[in-house]
Order: sequence, then C-alpha cells, then structure tokens
Amino acid sequence: MEMKQIHEKTTALLGWSLQAIEAIDKMNRPYVVVGPPEFKPFADKNGIQFVPWQFNVPIEHSMELYEQLKDFKTKVAVPIYEETVEWAGMLNSLLWENPRIFNKSLLLRDKSLMKRRAHLAGLRVGVFEEAFTKEDVAHFLKRMNEALLNMDEENYEPIHVKPFDKAGTVGHRMIKKREDIEEIDDSEFPLLMESHLEGQEFSCEAFIHNGKVHFLNITEYVKLGHSNFVPASPSLEQWRPQIREQIEKLVSAFEVENGILHPEFFITPDGTIYFGEVAARIPGGHIFEHIERVYGFSPYQGQILCCDPETTEEELNAFFPEEVVSAKGHSGNLMVYPKVKSISKLNIPDELKEHPYFLKHNMFIPTTAKVAERVGFGNHYGSIYFFGEDSTEMRSLLEEYEKHNFYL
Amino acid sequence: MNTVIKERKTTTAPKRKATTRKKPIANKISPLEVKFESALDTLNQAKPFAKSLYQTDVYQLANELASTSEGMSVLFKYAHLFDQAGVFLDGDWEDPTKLQPPFVGGSLRLRGIYSILELLSEMRMLAIAKGTYQHESLSPEHASSFLNEVLALNLDLLFPEEQETELEEHLIRAQNLFTYLRQELSFESVAEQMVQEINRMTVQRPILTRRIIELIENSKLLINDEIDSKIVEELEKYSRATDTPTPLSEEAAGQREYRLKLEQASKEELISEAELFAESMYETGLVSPYHAILLRFLNRKYQEIIPSALLLSETGVTSFNENKELIHDIIQLSIYPETKQAIYGLSKMLNRGVLKLESLIPAIRQLFELPIHAEVKIALSNYVNGLNGISINGILVAGVVSVLGQPLGIGQGVNPICQSARAISLWAQYDIDKLFTLITSAIRDNNIEMAFEGELINSSLLLDGVATQNLQDLDPVSILLVPHLDKIYTEMMKRTLLRGEDGHKWVNREFYGEWIPSGFINVIDPLTLNVTNYSSFVKLFYATHHPDYNEGYKMLYPNPVGIFLTNVHGELLGLHAVSIQRIEKDQHGECRIYFYNPNNDGTQNWGQNIKASVSGFGELEGESSLPFHEFVSRMYAYHYNPYEQGDAYIVEETIVEKVETLARESWGKNYEWA
Repeated sequence: MEMKQIHEKTTALLGWSLQAIEAIDKMNRPYVVVGPPEFKPFADKNGIQFVPWQFNVPIEHSMELYEQLKDFKTKVAVPIYEETVEWAGMLNSLLWENPRIFNKSLLLRDKSLMKRRAHLAGLRVGVFEEAFTKEDVAHFLKRMNEALLNMDEENYEPIHVKPFDKAGTVGHRMIKKREDIEEIDDSEFPLLMESHLEGQEFSCEAFIHNGKVHFLNITEYVKLGHSNFVPASPSLEQWRPQIREQIEKLVSAFEVENGILHPEFFITPDGTIYFGEVAARIPGGHIFEHIERVYGFSPYQGQILCCDPETTEEELNAFFPEEVVSAKGHSGNLMVYPKVKSISKLNIPDELKEHPYFLKHNMFIPTTAKVAERVGFGNHYGSIYFFGEDSTEMRSLLEEYEKHNFYL
Repeated sequence: MNTVIKERKTTTAPKRKATTRKKPIANKISPLEVKFESALDTLNQAKPFAKSLYQTDVYQLANELASTSEGMSVLFKYAHLFDQAGVFLDGDWEDPTKLQPPFVGGSLRLRGIYSILELLSEMRMLAIAKGTYQHESLSPEHASSFLNEVLALNLDLLFPEEQETELEEHLIRAQNLFTYLRQELSFESVAEQMVQEINRMTVQRPILTRRIIELIENSKLLINDEIDSKIVEELEKYSRATDTPTPLSEEAAGQREYRLKLEQASKEELISEAELFAESMYETGLVSPYHAILLRFLNRKYQEIIPSALLLSETGVTSFNENKELIHDIIQLSIYPETKQAIYGLSKMLNRGVLKLESLIPAIRQLFELPIHAEVKIALSNYVNGLNGISINGILVAGVVSVLGQPLGIGQGVNPICQSARAISLWAQYDIDKLFTLITSAIRDNNIEMAFEGELINSSLLLDGVATQNLQDLDPVSILLVPHLDKIYTEMMKRTLLRGEDGHKWVNREFYGEWIPSGFINVIDPLTLNVTNYSSFVKLFYATHHPDYNEGYKMLYPNPVGIFLTNVHGELLGLHAVSIQRIEKDQHGECRIYFYNPNNDGTQNWGQNIKASVSGFGELEGESSLPFHEFVSRMYAYHYNPYEQGDAYIVEETIVEKVETLARESWGKNYEWA
C-alpha cells in the first residue's frame, strides 16, 4: 500500500504484533513500537524503533511513556491488544489534550460498564449482574432459573461469566451447576454474569473515522472459539442494515471518534439482535487474516488509518473496498484443540487436504506431548484455513471437522 | 559369520530398489509444489523481522513434500533459495557453518517442527555440495563431507530394519531424506568416512567398544561393488577382528563348533590361530569372541601357546612364566566370549609387568572369591545377562584386568564423571594398591573410606553426588567405584567451600594421592570470578612444565589439570578434568603436551584450529596431544612443584600474548578479565 502523503509525525503501536508492524512498515510513515522489554534485542537487530514498556503497571505511569513517545514526535497511539486500549486512550488524551478520550476508553475495558452503557443507549442486552464472590454467582444462577420457572437443579439453564477486563474468550466460562462455580479462580473476580443468549452469534469489525463507519465486516461464528468465516453467509448478511444500525448506536453511545470496534452479537431467526460485548482492538480468531484474504486490503493498515485523526476522507474512500460484493469468496478457519491428554500423532485426513476449499494448516506435533489444561476456552493448538465460494459448504466443512480428532 | 553379512545384504538389496524410484520429470509441477513455491516466495518477500510469520507455511508444506521421494527432489530444486528466503532465519539452523554432523540424527528423530528444519538444513547442505548454491563461507567439499558423516553416523535410517508397526511420519521423512542423499552422494565417500570414524575411535584403545562394534556392524551394510577395494578391505579388517579373524573360526558355524574344531586341530594350527588372533587384536584393539574360546582351550591343554595368543613381549613372557597359576585362574574365571575385550587388557597388563608388584597377586586372588554386597550385585547385574556361566566375581576380575592393562582406556561414557574416571585411570597407573583397597571395600561393603585432613569420610554415609544413578556405558570397575568416588569428591570440595581459594588445591592431593605436587594455581579468582593474573598463570606453567624453561625437570607423575572445554567455534561448553601424561618434543621438535581425556573422544575440535590428535605425533594408546601453547590456552588450573621451577620472567611476552589471545577469544569471552 503506497501512501501518497508524506507523514512526518510518528504513529505508536501499543503492543508487539509482527503482523501490525509489517503492515505499518509498508505504509511509508514513521512508527514506533511500544512493547515488552524482551523484544528490544529483536527490534534493535531489525531497525525497528522501540520503546520497552510493561503494560501491567498502573496507568499513572503513562506520563513517563508519554514523555518518551513525545521524543519520537508521536501523533497517535494505536492499541493492538485488549490490555493496551486504556493506554492508547490515555496517551491520545495527552497527545490531543482531550481527557475524555481516556475516560471513554475505560468503558471498553470493563465489561460491566460497557454493558450498562450499551443498555442505556437502547441496545438489547441479556440479563446481567456483577459478581464479586462465588456466592454471587450461585445466587444469580439460581435466580435466573427461577425466573425461567426452572426448578430442576440438575438441568439448570446455563449462565455465562467473564472477567471484566479480559480479551475475547479468556476467562469466559459457561456455568450450569455448583461445581462449575467452584472451578472459578478467585483472581477472576470481579466478573460479569449474564443470561445465556440463543441465536446465531457473530462479530463485527467496524472501521470508524470521525465518528463515521467506513467499513463494516460481519464475521459469522460457526462455533464460538472454534470456527468462523468472513464475510458472513447471505442469510446473516440480509440483516446488514439492521446490524449497521446497531453499530452506529454503539459508535455514538461510546462516542467513538477514530479506531476500530469489534462487538459481538446474537441474532434470533426473526432478526432480533442482542448485544454481547465490544472491544476496541484487533479481533482474535484470525479474523483480520480473513478480511485481508477476501477483500485484499490490510485491516491492520485500515486500523492505523482510522486511528489517525489526520487521515482524509479521500484516503479512506480509496482504501476501503465495497462491503460483501467485492469479496473474492469466503475465508474461514477452524481452531483445533487436542481432545487427548497427550499427543503422539497428527491425524490429518487426505480428504481434507484434497478438498478444494482447503488452504493450509499449521499443526505440528508439539515438542511437549502433554496437553496443557484448558482454562475457560483456552488456547488452540493449531488452525486450519479454508477458502471458497459457497458459505453453506464452508459452514458444513467447519462443522464436520470440528468433530474430527486431529491430535491422537 | 560371513553368512550373516550376506543374508543382510540380500535382504537390503530389494528394499533399496523399492525406495530408489526413478527421478521424477522435472517440468511436471504438482499442486503441492505450486503451493511450496508460493509460500517460499511470500517468505522471500517478507522483511527480515516478519519472516517468522511466513516460515511456518514453508515448513508445513516441506513436511508434506518430504513424505514422498518425489517431494524430496522438489525440495532440492528450491534448496538453493532457502537462505535467501529466510527459511532458517533467527533459528539454530541459521548458519550452516555452525552445524555439526553428530547432532543431525538426534534432531531428525524428534517429532514435530525441529525434524523438518533439520531435514531442510540437509537439503541446503546438499545444494552447497552440488554447487547449486554457493555459500560464502562453506565450500562444496566441506558440505559433502558433512553429509557423508551424517550418513555414516545414521546408517540405520538408510538401511531400515523391517518394522512390524507403521513408522511414524518424522521417521519416514528421515528415511526419505537419507534415500535421497544416498542417490546424490557416493557410497564410497560415506564408507570412507566410516573408516575414518572407526580408525579414530579404535586408535584410542578404549576398554568399552560397544559403540565401535555398532559402527562396524552398520558399515557392513555399505560394502558393495561400488566401493573402492581399499576401503572395503579396511572395513572388512574391522569386521573380521570382531568376528572371525582366523581360518578355523571362519570355517566354524558357531562357537560350539569352533571349540570342537580346536580339539581336532594340530599344534601348528593352534599356534597359527593364536598368532592371527593376537595380530588382529593388536592391529585394531578389538577382540573376537572366538579368541576367548581359543584362550580357554589353550588354558586347559596348551598353556605354552598362551604367550603367542596374547602377543606377549619379553616382559610379558617373564611375567607370564612367573605367575602361570594366577593367569590360569584369571582366564578360567573371567575370560569368556562375553568378556572378550579383557583379553586385550590381560595382554597389556602382562606386558606392563605390573605383576612384579608383590602385593598385587594376593589382591587379585582375593577378588576371585570375595563376597559381594547385594547392592553391588544389582549394579553389575547388567553384565551377567545371558552369559554362559560367568560369575560376578569373574566380571569384576575381567574389569580389573582391563583397567590394569589399559589405564588410559577408561572412559566416562556419557556421564558427567570426568573426575572419577580420571582418578581410576591415575591409580591404575601409579597407585594400584590404593585402587585395590578401594575396589575390595566397594565390592564387599558397598562403601569407600578416604581421609580428608585427618578426618575419615565414608561414602555410604553421604547423599550428594552428581552421578549416583543412571550411569551408562561404563566398565565394571567404574560402575563399582564411581558412585562412591563422586560422593567423596563432592564432600571434600564442600569442606573447602569457605576457604576463599579453589578447593581443588587441597582436595586433589587428598583424593588422588600425595604425589600430586602441592603448588596449585587457578586462573579464576574465586572471590571475584574474574580472570586474574593470566600472564603469570601462563608464565608459571611454562617455567614449571616446558622443557625449555623449567631447568630440565621431568614429570614423574601425571598432572591432573582443569581445562575449559570449548566447541568447534571456541565457545565455552564447561569445565573438564584431564591429566597431563607427559610433555615431550615431537618428531618435528615441537613441544607437545600428551594428555589423557576421560571422554574417550580424543580428537575433539576445540575451535580456533585447536584439534587434539591421537596419532601421528608419537601418542601412546589412549593419549591425545596438542602443541604446548594450544593446550595452555584452554587450561584453568594445574598443580606444580614449587621446588622444580625455572624462572618465570624468562618466558617471552610474545608467547604469553599468543596464549592470551587464544584464551580471550574463546572461553575468555564468558569472563571478566581483571
């Protein structure tokens, strides 16, 4: 991507991501990466401007970072990870002398505040409460089921819990019985509890500049934490206008000026949309890779352009393609978790490798055979990538291979 | 046993045919190749910092390709591009000049990603060897010899045994690699490499020969028409030495039949058998199991032929004649086909003339019937598996005979026990009485007692020691003594911890023997851990040890010294214990240090072109040697006799500078220099 404008001021990437670094490196604009100190030798070796920083210190230390970034003539900070969203908020507040940016960013870092804000703005949400102890969780589970007139403790309707400030599926647990509650670690409190929502789950990746949504991607989840594809199937895309409306409500409720929003929703067959949660960072689950594969632009670059208040409307119009119709096909992936305790063999069926939709996989037999215990949804061991024309075929592939045992 | 070789040959020939497919037509590009090419291209386009994002795709596709022999040639087609594209960037395989053939087999046998990287690395090496890729600092010749050595060390992958179960993917890939390499390289150079490897190992005359015999067994698979007759002869010489080096043994179908043939043989035939066995044994350092059968036979009926069967020297014959009864009993009790290697030890022991030591004869006799502690029985049980009637006492006697005959053939195997191995070697040379005291009490009581500064230390009361379990690849005497020695040494060092000086200064004299000179110097200051007074360290060593500077004092006893072990790139690997056996001028007038290295790998390359040699400069069996200054550059501690010392200030600064440069640019990088 060649940028016509000559940029003199520096963009700071908060968080170490090679993909993001590679994307900005191709944009012909100065940048600095702020990341954990262990990356310094690598950054030095490769001539990457680098500020070593630990983001797990109190935000009050941000002045130190601000001073350092000023020396690099930084004009904007771009958050890469969940943990850096509030840092970007604070730094941009300082850089643009607008304290509200930081306060807004905090809304996105607290799942409970975020939900309230969305509720206030008129988005439809499930029933939710905050929990500070295990007792709170037990109480909520019981009361939810009472409300549903379900007295059968053995077959309670589930609830979900998520720590206030963790990204994606980290710490996300489904609770059905007392024992599930006992497994929650004390460090995960406080957390948000919410009712189980039925319906098709999906996420959106909205690229926003000057409060306007310039590009809206819809990612269809086949199974949360396991499989998804981009763009969504026609049956979900038919609700795009309604979905866009929800996104615009979010943008105004959270007063998002510049950057990306990555919310998750549920939609019922009659088109009722429930808000799940929202983040202002790069989505997981390989979604950016899918967007790049089908639309041909780098979403990382898109995010950087959107974060930069000085980007012009023309630049953005030239950068983003038309949604859905310009997609070259559907790009999807399956994240694979071992179903065994110890891995001795990979089992990748030839039919899979020979399927025209199969692109690649990145599974190897890990060096340590023992499989790490999963906490919440945990981390996947490998991914399989698909690309093809037909969303029905894509969905059935993802469903079929989700059942397969790739690790033996 | 020739029949066995033939049999194996015939079974491997069709197998080779099966895996040797004709080369695929180069212009037919498979979909997999298209994917590989594009993944490689994407990697190539990426900036260095982003390579790791794209390397995995290349590895994954290489993995697929390597599962077929056609795929291997596709990999080779692109191998010259690997470095430029960044396939190995930022990993252990990045710089091919830093790779070492002995590690290849291990990596290929790992599951997962490392075996794929290793395989790609061999393909790059092949591209260098074939000239399709010109590497700036690695020549095609070097690459070829690298691959030859890799093949020679991993012949089992080239000639796989028939497997009952299906092989795992990574092993199939490794076999495909070796089949491919074998097509591209000549068998002859692999065989040549093999001969070099066997020569190198046998010239040291180790007591344990398991690894050598494995190599010889493997090498049999290589012998075919393509190979130069000289190399075949060499390999066959070794193969015969461990099997049937004489006409009668060659004819016999097995050990029992050989024994029957001996009954019928004429005395002339027996003498000729005896001489041929002895000749083969002395030429290779390896002993045939039939040699043991002959010796046992002679022991009963023709004791007078035994000196020929052992190739005894004048000293040896005298020693034999004076101790006929003892030798008879030793052979009867301990020389079996399974302990065949002790025949070489017996021969060397007699030729050494150590039986002149009066106390030794009752000491050996005592071992014949010494009661054995239960723990010792367990520890030595590995040696008795399936033996025809040999007792544990017999095993121990055979072990003692080997140690007395080949004191420099004692090895530490793969165990971190250089101190203890060195101790046994030193005592077997200069303090046999002490060795026997230790052996006897270890066998009987499972305990060793040593005094440190007047206080007794009992090994059975100690817990610490690096090597009390999992000892592998050791001779019986080492298995017996090392756990005790290791604990005692550790305990003695512990007692010196707070003295502010290197404890070896006191411990070595108490542990090894009073004959170790009392002067001691260590180049590392124990308080600051800095290299301190390096030039005086060097000068003092010259003044006490170099014949041009030390007023002509000769070494009476070996000197146990500490060295920094460095790898082929001069990088520090760790501390190591060796002993200097003697210091003399070689045939070119260069002063060399001849030393015993308990790791039995005397030709290790220590970097900076410092390569210890084991032959060619008058080295005795089991000795390694280096030019004086090269050895000094790796030393960190030595003993010296303050009363036998020349003037340190006479030593030229240029010499010190030379040594210091070698030191600073190798192990010295890991230290502060005060």
